[in-house]
Amino acid sequence: MSLYELLGTVEVGLIFGLVALGAFITFRILDFPDLTVEGSFPLGAAMAAILIVNFGWNPWPATLAAAMAGFGAGFVTAFLNVRFNILHILSGILVSISLYSINLRIMSGPNKPLLGAHTIFSAVQGWGIPTYILSPLLLAIIILAIKMLLDLFLHTGLGMNMRAAGANPAMAAANGVNVGRMKLLGLGMANALTALAGAMFAQSFGAADAYMGIGVIIIGLASVIVGMSILPVRTIAQATLACLFGAMLYRFAVAFSLNADFLGLKASDVQLVTALLVVVTLVGQSSRSGMGKLLKRKLS
Amino acid sequence: MIDVSDVRVTFNKSTPLESVALRELDLVVPHGQFLTIIGSNGAGKSTSLNVIAGLVRPDCGKVVVGGQDVTDWPIHQRSRLISRVFQDPKMGTCEDLTILENFALAHGRTQPRGFRFAIDKGIRERAAERLKLLKLGLENRLNDKVGLLSGGQRQAVSLLMATTGETRVLLLDEHTAALDPKTAEFVMELTRAIVTELKLTSVMVTHSMAQALHYGDRTVMFHRGRIIFDAEGDKRAAMQVSDLLALFKRDQGEELSDDALLLG
Ligand SMILES: Nc1ncnc2c1ncn2[C@@H]1O[C@H](COP(=O)(O)OP(=O)(O)O)[C@@H](O)[C@H]1O
Ligand SMILES: [Mg+2]
Repeated sequence: MSLYELLGTVEVGLIFGLVALGAFITFRILDFPDLTVEGSFPLGAAMAAILIVNFGWNPWPATLAAAMAGFGAGFVTAFLNVRFNILHILSGILVSISLYSINLRIMSGPNKPLLGAHTIFSAVQGWGIPTYILSPLLLAIIILAIKMLLDLFLHTGLGMNMRAAGANPAMAAANGVNVGRMKLLGLGMANALTALAGAMFAQSFGAADAYMGIGVIIIGLASVIVGMSILPVRTIAQATLACLFGAMLYRFAVAFSLNADFLGLKASDVQLVTALLVVVTLVGQSSRSGMGKLLKRKLS
Repeated sequence: MIDVSDVRVTFNKSTPLESVALRELDLVVPHGQFLTIIGSNGAGKSTSLNVIAGLVRPDCGKVVVGGQDVTDWPIHQRSRLISRVFQDPKMGTCEDLTILENFALAHGRTQPRGFRFAIDKGIRERAAERLKLLKLGLENRLNDKVGLLSGGQRQAVSLLMATTGETRVLLLDEHTAALDPKTAEFVMELTRAIVTELKLTSVMVTHSMAQALHYGDRTVMFHRGRIIFDAEGDKRAAMQVSDLLALFKRDQGEELSDDALLLG
């Protein structure tokens, strides 16, 4: 692996850290298996690409708008579940397949190239240091800032209500927590993070694609499960750090297995390998300790 | 303080499993009264508490708490007026949160903190001060996850949490039933002390006739969704468990089949 490849992998690992934080909020905190992310990741990419290329927006507000669109998508999923009692998994599937059509509409086609356009990474051009070094640095700063903001939020009154709403809904309601509202907010936040990741990924990769959401759910989940089973997770800050670490580790595992010729894997095998990784980790945990069982129950 | 009038509750309506849990229930609990409820299994005791707390919506009738008609209020909104302790110690506390965080959560019931930090020095001190009452040393374990506590400890913490803040109505549903006798006694005495100290309006469901007569100011007996017996003052003070049993027989013309009641 060359330095160039290495930093490219770091860049993608950082971006998918946001997806992992989203999965942490839905699966771990709210106990809500959310499939919306399969649609909100390409939604973020499509929004950012169109606003930058067709509407000539500055990439920063365009990226922010993409995140807000993601918030809307998560909100709709939670609304279907809370207001109409539609099963959580089904709500997510309904919204993500709707988003597939919506994304094609937004882009007026299956993809939207961003080559040559101004992106958030243009900010690190012309400093005399190659962008492939500065881009991951910029991303690292943004992602760590978001992680810390999330940590702070989860320690506020509202954030603690959200944690209680997921962990023990009956008890939370008896203590004045509007559990439905917490789901609306939490799913909105998680999908805002996912759409933000999509927007950044499109700008890093140079294009938005309607198909780029496939497997995002399992990548997020794999990152959370692997990260939290390796690192200590006694505090919120440790848990979110473990999610970011898991996402990075996952990217490197993928890069190595694809690079290792003796394994004979093709790029298209990634989804299968990911699913196997999740199964192996979950099985390993459940046979090792009660804590593993707890996590498995929460995450499956 | 609590005024339940003409409440009817039917479960699984219009299905083969249809069952009427409460039949035109009227129950008024004046301000500051400590009411105990007794009755056989399935008599509608828990359902009546659930109607007051908002977990069960009645088919018809009205629920008024503290002068406000709360019949259409959701649970979380009623929690500003009403707090409760469940039978299952796992229900009253959140095991993934620390003792302190659980306390802060209960505190937020009447004083939501929104975007301010859930825990500050004031809440930490108040929690430690309240927990000292238990003499279980929990004030030194504020940052332990509640999941680490025993059932009795958790129930004691639930009780403290339910009596934090400004709610003036306390609902207890067999909150000592899952505990061993010694711990149950401890939690009951704690309940009595707190209810007296804070002058709470309380409704306690219990499985034990002795407990029902021993604690509180008034006792009612439920049977098949109705109140069949209601005593307070001198009449109640003179009552024995055997009198209650005799009354039950006379009113119902049938033997009391619930062994647990007899043993209590
Ligand atoms: N959620 C429910 N669904 C269906 N039936 C219920 C439900 N809760 C209670 N019941 C029924 O209502 C009746 C009263 O139950 P409950 O109030 O729990 O009695 P208890 O006096 O033992 O607390 C019982 O016949 C019970 O089976
Ligand atoms: Mg009951």
